[in-house]
This record gives sequence, C-alpha cells and structure tokens, in this order.
Amino acid sequence: MKAAEHPDRDGLMPVPTGSLQQRKRPEEPKKRASRWAFLGLRRQRGRVGHDGGLPYLMVAPLAVCIGALAIYPTILTAIEAFFRVDPLTPPNRFVGFGNFSAILADSQVRQSLENTGWYMLFGVALTVALGTAIALLLRRPFRGRGVILAIVILPWALPGVVEGVIWSWIYNPTFGVLNSVLKSLHLIGQYQLFIGSHQIETILLISLVQVWQITPLAALIVLAALQSVPEELYEAANVDGASWHRVIRSITLPLIRPALAIATVQALVMSLNIFTQVYVLNVNATTGASIMSTTYFTTFQSLNFGEGYALSLLATLATVILSIGVVKILYRKVDYS
Amino acid sequence: MRRALRRSGRVVALAIVVFWSLFPLYWALKTSLSTNSAAERTPVQYVVTHPSFTAYQAVFGYGPESSEAAGGIARSLINVTVEASAATILTLFIAVLAAYAFARMRFRLKTVVFYAVIATLMLPVYATLIPLYRIMSDLGLVNTYVGIVLVYTSGFLPLALWIMYNVFMSLPPSIEEAARIDGATTLQTFRRVVLPMVRPGIAATAIVTFLFGWSQFIFPLVLSSSSSTEPLTVLLAAIDSRDVPYTLLNAAAIVAVGIPAIIVFFLNRWIVTGITAGSVK
Repeated sequence: MKAAEHPDRDGLMPVPTGSLQQRKRPEEPKKRASRWAFLGLRRQRGRVGHDGGLPYLMVAPLAVCIGALAIYPTILTAIEAFFRVDPLTPPNRFVGFGNFSAILADSQVRQSLENTGWYMLFGVALTVALGTAIALLLRRPFRGRGVILAIVILPWALPGVVEGVIWSWIYNPTFGVLNSVLKSLHLIGQYQLFIGSHQIETILLISLVQVWQITPLAALIVLAALQSVPEELYEAANVDGASWHRVIRSITLPLIRPALAIATVQALVMSLNIFTQVYVLNVNATTGASIMSTTYFTTFQSLNFGEGYALSLLATLATVILSIGVVKILYRKVDYS
Repeated sequence: MRRALRRSGRVVALAIVVFWSLFPLYWALKTSLSTNSAAERTPVQYVVTHPSFTAYQAVFGYGPESSEAAGGIARSLINVTVEASAATILTLFIAVLAAYAFARMRFRLKTVVFYAVIATLMLPVYATLIPLYRIMSDLGLVNTYVGIVLVYTSGFLPLALWIMYNVFMSLPPSIEEAARIDGATTLQTFRRVVLPMVRPGIAATAIVTFLFGWSQFIFPLVLSSSSSTEPLTVLLAAIDSRDVPYTLLNAAAIVAVGIPAIIVFFLNRWIVTGITAGSVK
C-alpha cells in the first residue's frame, strides 16, 4: 500500500497513515497460510471421505456440466485450431500453424485486430473513469440515493442487442436525435452518417454504447471498495486541512486500487470481446469490425471453422493473459487496520 | 459559500449521470409512442404530443401496422422467458448443492474441481462457441430449448457457484453443528437449517442469473435462430436489419427492456449484492 510506505510523501500529516503502519497486529503469530488459504480449501486434515458419498453426488452435476460444456470445448478449440476443419468434408486434416498464418495474412483480420485495440482503449478508459466518478458521487448517503443507484444500474441489466437498437436510432443518419442536436448547435452543417464512414468515429460511437452498458459494473465495484474505506481516514485528513484532490490522491486511490484493478480487468475483457454492439450497429459495414465479429463471420458465414478456431484460440489466450497480467500489476491486498 | 458551490456541483453531476443513464431509454419510449410521421420529423420533437399505441399493437400482431417482419415477437418473448427461467432454476439447483459441498464437506479432488470450475469464469465466449455449436449439432440439440438451456447453464454456473460458496462460507458453522448434535442428518440440516438462512444469497444469485439469461445474444444467434426457440434478442437484431418502421423497432426494444427494468427498480438491492460478490474474485 503506497500511502503506508510513504507517509509524508504527499505532505499529508502522518497521523492516519503512520498509525496505520504501527498497528499491524503484532500480537498475532504468523500462520503459514498459503496464498489461497482464504478459500478455506485446506480444512481437509484427517480422514478423507468423512462425509461418505454424499459430496460426490452433490458436486457431480456441476462437474459433468462444466466438464462437458466448458472445459471439453475449450480443449477442442485448442486442438482444432491446428486442423483444417470443414464440417461438410470430414475428416479434418492437420495443418500445423496453417490456420494461424492464414488469418494473420488476412487483411480483414488485421483490420479487426486494430479496431479491437481501439475498442479496448476507449472502453477501458471511459468505463473506469466514468465508473469511478459515479462511485465517488454516490459514496456518501443522501436522500434519493437508492433511486439514483437503481437508475445507474439500469443500463447494465438490459440486453446488449436492445441497447444497440436504441442507440442506432439515436445515431440514425436521417432522423437521429444526435444529428438534430449537433445541427441545432451548429456543430455540423448537415446531417452525418456517423456509423460506417470513418473508422475511429465509428469505433468510438459503438464503444460508447458498450460503455453505457458496462459502466454501472465498474461503478458498483468501486463503490463497494469506497464504502469500506474507514471514515476516520477522511476525518483526519480534514483536520489536517487536506484539499479534496489530495484526499482522493493520497487516501482514496491507494485504498481502492484492488477494486480499480478488478474494474479494469472487467472492462478490458468485455471490450476485447465486444460483439453484440458491433453486430447490431455495424451490420453491413466492416469499418468497425471487432475480433469477435470477424470470428463469427469467418466461422458461421464463410464456414471456415479452422480459421475461426485459430482466431478463437488467440483471442482466448489474449483474454486470459491480459486478465492475469493486469491483476498482477494492480492488485495488492489492502490492509485498513 | 464554498459548501454551497460544492453542493450544487454535486447536484449538477448527479443530474448528468441520470440523464446519461436514462436518455437513450426515454428516447426509445418516446419514439415507440409516436406515429411514424412524428418519429421521422426533422428537427426532432423531444416530447410526444399525441401518444399512439399502434406500434405496440403491431408488436403483438394486431392493428393496422402489424406485419410479417414484426411477427414472432410475442413468440420470442415466450422463448426468452422459458430459456432464462429454466437456465436460472437449473443453475441455482446445481450451484447451491455443489457450493454447499465445497464449503462444508470433505472429499477427494475437491480443490482441483473447485479451481477448474472457477477458472472457467475467465474464459471468453470464443473459447467455447464453435465447439459448442458442433457438439450441439451432433447431439441434435440445435434449435431446442434443452440445448440452449444447457449451454446457458454451463456459462452461468461458475459465477453462481462462486457467489453461493461465499454465502455458505460466511455462515457460522456452529448452527449446523447444533442441528447435528440434535440428531439431524446432513440432508436434514441442509434443507431445514442451512437453506432458509441463505435465501437472500439464493435470491441475489437467481436475479443476476436471470438477467444474464434474458440478455444472451451470441449463443442463441448460433444455437437457436429458428422461430420456435429464438429469444427476443436474436429476433430484434434480425428485424433491425429489415425494413420495419422505427416506431415498431423501438416499441419492441421497450418490450425487451420491461422485465429487466422492473427487476432493477424493485430488486436492485439483490443485484448490488450479486454483482459485487461476483466480481471480487
């Protein structure tokens, strides 16, 4: 935790942070706890099978369902990415990295890779910034907070397709409200085709629809962390006359870092996987194609399953590596005591 | 003075947040209640002066504007209700049983199975989409309720398991021990003592799972795109690219928004629990 390591660094009086450091529960002897001990899986000392066959019965449906419909398909993806798969003319032929070199040579795939990079940039930056801002606004109780919280959550709970339909009407080139507003503000001379004409503009506007949907999640995650920050820290800072931006920088941000890490990973993974909004808003154009939409069209319209598998495998690896990486960098346990 | 300034700053910021969250929905609602000519007027009208319900009649196959394109919305509404509900019930049943075993019982391979299931939370749609399509078509389960419900369940289970596992772990074991001392069997303890205590956790899990089920798009797009099983989301995306009036499209969108909106406004406490429990991995 930054604040505890450098109590004086930001000129904040060391009262809250200094005492933070000293009160690190020296009386408790260190148990040799594994990193995963919080999961409580280690309570198996003694005879195994104490509960007889019952737990196996209780876990079997889960194991079968996840094994057959999540783990087995993932393994299948990893294997078949190296085969030429054509459902009409079996058997499959081993082609090594053939599928991978084919997709990397495909200009449309490269375009969608670049687009997805933009989706991730816009998606993560906007979602985390907006989500944190909303969480800070809702941190303290006030009259009507419950209603505002419900309103904030609402876009998260709605189907992405519906949101795509609603926003495509807002962006409509001939009757859309966005055109109307921009024209009456004299920001545009005449009505524009927003989606499909310009790459970055298309991506930003489609990304905005996804940001609208996933910001509530980031807000809730950060809000939960904000509410667990002890009030005394703020009071102490107030007594010392710290300005609000200093308080945010020196107390709030360091303490909610794990929550920010989680919100960032969620936004990263969701924007890397953006599909629905692209599919609905960008139906007939490739300007805003994402990896996921390219995978879908390669597989289920061009029926090129091998290349679809290869794309899927690369995207899966990217997702897993990115999630683990960001958590490793940003996530450190916070000790409030 | 500074205080008043900060206060009004907050109010303005909150107003922007509310506007950002609600305006797109207001706009869809406004359009759905307009006549076609009013919806296509430029510059736009911001309020409806004479609300018209023809678009909603057309959505459900009645009235002058009902058309081939809009047909099937009522059916797809039934489909999504059946699929989301069935997946929720199945997910909850499987997850609650397994989570209790993981939280309280001793058995072989416990750690391995638990981590294997939780690890699938990280998997994106890509990892399983194509193989699941091929498995389901081999089994003849494409375009069936069973197929789509099984796929949903496998997708929703890890999160449900994680939430329910934490719920069970947060219970003090002493109550169950007392029940056992009084002579209750494991199953009796589970049904009579534990389940009533975790009802809030089950409710939160069920609500979040149902909302996920209601919103699914890419899996049903691939696995159930015939009119007998396609959910509202798939149909909506299909008619979006057809030539239907904007009023009808927005009316259909508002219909799809209805159930989740009701859930959010009356049950948002549970959603907050479900989301925050699920995301803090």
